[in-house]
Amino acid sequence: MLATISSSTLSGVDGRSVRVEVHVTDGLPGFTIVGLPDTSCREARDRVRAALVSSGASWPLKRITVNLAPGGVLKTGSGLDLPIALGVLVASGQLPAEGPCLGAFGELGLDGSVRPVPGALSLADALHAELVLVPAVDAPVAQLVAGDRVRAVECLSDAANALVNGEPWPSVDAHCVAAPPPELEPDLADVRGQQAARVALEFAAAGGHHMLLVGPPGSGKTMLARRLVGLLPPLRAEEALEVTRVHSAAGLPLPPGGLLDRPPFRSPHHSASMASLVGGGSGHARPGEISRATCGVLFLDELGEFAPSVLDALRQPLEEGVVRVARSGGTTVQPAHVLLVAAMNPCPCGMGGRTGCRCPPAARARYARRVSGPLLDRLDVMVHVDRPLASDLLGQAGESSAVVAARVAEVRELARGRGVRCNAELEGEALDRYAPLSTQAQQILETALTSGRLSGRGLRRVRCVARTIRDLDDGGRELRPDDVRCALSLRARPPLEVSDG
Amino acid sequence: MVEITNPSVAVCVLAGLEGMGPRRLHRVLQAYDPATALAAIRDGTIPSFVAASELSNIWAGELCEVDELAVARQLRDNKIVVTYVGHRDHPALLSEDIDPAPVLFRRGKALGFEGPKVAIIGTRRSSGLGREVARELGFGLAQAGVSVVSGLALGVDGAAHQGALAAQAAPPVAVVGGGPDVVYPKRHADLWQDMVASGTVASEAPPGAAPVAWRFPARNRLIAAFSDLVVVVESRAAGGSMLTINEAIRRGRDVMAVPGSVRNPAAVGTNQLIAEGCAPVMSVEDVLVALGLTEAQRSGRRSAVASPAPTVPSHLVVVLDAIDDGPTSIERVVDRSGESVVSVLSRIDELVALDLVVHDGIRVRRA
Repeated sequence: MLATISSSTLSGVDGRSVRVEVHVTDGLPGFTIVGLPDTSCREARDRVRAALVSSGASWPLKRITVNLAPGGVLKTGSGLDLPIALGVLVASGQLPAEGPCLGAFGELGLDGSVRPVPGALSLADALHAELVLVPAVDAPVAQLVAGDRVRAVECLSDAANALVNGEPWPSVDAHCVAAPPPELEPDLADVRGQQAARVALEFAAAGGHHMLLVGPPGSGKTMLARRLVGLLPPLRAEEALEVTRVHSAAGLPLPPGGLLDRPPFRSPHHSASMASLVGGGSGHARPGEISRATCGVLFLDELGEFAPSVLDALRQPLEEGVVRVARSGGTTVQPAHVLLVAAMNPCPCGMGGRTGCRCPPAARARYARRVSGPLLDRLDVMVHVDRPLASDLLGQAGESSAVVAARVAEVRELARGRGVRCNAELEGEALDRYAPLSTQAQQILETALTSGRLSGRGLRRVRCVARTIRDLDDGGRELRPDDVRCALSLRARPPLEVSDG
Repeated sequence: MVEITNPSVAVCVLAGLEGMGPRRLHRVLQAYDPATALAAIRDGTIPSFVAASELSNIWAGELCEVDELAVARQLRDNKIVVTYVGHRDHPALLSEDIDPAPVLFRRGKALGFEGPKVAIIGTRRSSGLGREVARELGFGLAQAGVSVVSGLALGVDGAAHQGALAAQAAPPVAVVGGGPDVVYPKRHADLWQDMVASGTVASEAPPGAAPVAWRFPARNRLIAAFSDLVVVVESRAAGGSMLTINEAIRRGRDVMAVPGSVRNPAAVGTNQLIAEGCAPVMSVEDVLVALGLTEAQRSGRRSAVASPAPTVPSHLVVVLDAIDDGPTSIERVVDRSGESVVSVLSRIDELVALDLVVHDGIRVRRA
């Protein structure tokens, strides 16, 4: 007898629909799975058999063939355990064959329990069925896209009881335990002094401009970067879904409600490999840090210590907002709308050529060269973070995150009105319409272009930053010379010339 | 090997022998002419006051491996001119020195330049400001018809040569540690080419000789010997420049120093020199006066070091006043000027456009 259960498998961050066909027939007893399963998927054989027996069902002593269609797509992970088990039950007559069209995903334990799998959101999204059976832990996430079609199952017998005896399904909400108080994001008020860095941080948050913090060790670069995420507005519904999708696919912990509503903050260590940063891996491409930080902040501390090839791999995703990871098995497109914040010392010893600097000029030049020009060209706001003075450290606290975040939210709202997420995304015709230049400002930019200070890309970016500066000031329409000059001053350049000394 | 008759090639071979320092070479060349010296080494008749028998045996061994044609080709291809004690073109300054230089390998122009010569020396780890001063002194002196002598090293040396070359006047002289065809430091490859094209690159080391450590003090003595006056731009308390200064004092050459900030570690040595009574250099004029050059001999340009302050637009004065001559963080400028960060940043951009301030995205300083 033949049974068909809908399921899905993960490819990058997206789900792909899979039909699980189970055929039970007379013949020499055996159990085979065909249809390009990977190793963990092929192991379903043993788990399914043990889980079925543990749950009190009988294992049909017949020839069982499982086909995972379409046959050309690699099926990964253990999420197909549950649909295979359901298929065997239906095909052997232990579950009714008629009734609603079933869809499922989930890993089985040998005791018949159903365990969560990564990517529940994408998997549920790709599932086409009237009833979607998912692991109880994944139910809140699956509900975000599959709504009331979702049925939570804690163990295989739950499904059997509900489908055969008409018992109620376990409640989905039972697993939405009361959310713990949200983790407090560090507040900007803790930062004393550092006026220039604070302003730069506000520009970066408001306009979504990539940022580079340079300063000696212990000056507060990391502290500032960690506070950036607190300045960003909460995620909008579609952003939250995107972030949750990626985090779920990457197997990262999700809040009890299922949906992430704060921008993520990711700070990979500088030993990160290319695949871990932009995504990849053999077989199927897992989302990298740049995708995990989408709609949030990607913080690269010690920028100079990252492998140059890894950093340069960030150039295209930073420009396009998506990262295309090509593998022999196919290309996946993963979101990468990040706000990049990088921090580095001015030189290997950190003193930046001042009294006490132990770096010979060659070492300093080498260090500055580690960050390639094209990457620097994409960093719109560069600011020096100096060690604060004692009077600043003991002085008054600065503005709190809430005050700054309110201004940031206003500017982001203005950007929405222009049809982009943030000012940094303005380009082409929209840029001309929303960021017109005054005559004087135009002249300043012309001079900067002809003197070679500015590239074509730099020009667009300077205009975007100037737009943010004006938005934060009074929101006027035209860019004034001072807005443009300030944006030019903020642009990143190799930290070499002045720090010599 | 065949007998080497070309004296230039013979000198090259002699100077490249193991343990052949300037003094020993001088003794050899006083006793023999180059070709006979080689023959004497081969025959083992070198007297022991020149080299102990172990050493002359090593030399004889080395001679067997010399490829005369390759050496000659090296000289020809790199257009290297060889002069030695007794040669009519060997500079008298060197052969009559207290530590005479027995040979000189040079590329570029001849050393027949009659005008005054001034050495501009200083630390390799110089400040940006120090390099600028060196560049401006080099430019000003070359324009005034003074040949600038230096070592083509990183920092002050290279900057002085750059300035002197930019003036396109008196040809500068570089005295280097390795062979005249061995570019060192590599970063100065372009400058090296320019020096060969419009000045002189000279060395006591034969072509192909590596710039090993012991050659540099010897090189410093040549810089001192070559010049009428030594100007130190920036030097640490104990640096290679101090060796050059000692050599200059031994030869009775005047030493002058450019004063620096007391907070600048690269200026500790120069400030000490001034404290000890060395004449300070504040402008190109100071050097020209010390050389005894009259107004008439100088060409137009006023001091490059103390150029007149350009007029500053009034709205920029507050911010400019808040910027030091040394690196100043934006944070300090904001504090001192009392203006907003945005306005300080845009004023700084204006100042940069006017070439009044240098900004690297980290800190600013006056240009």
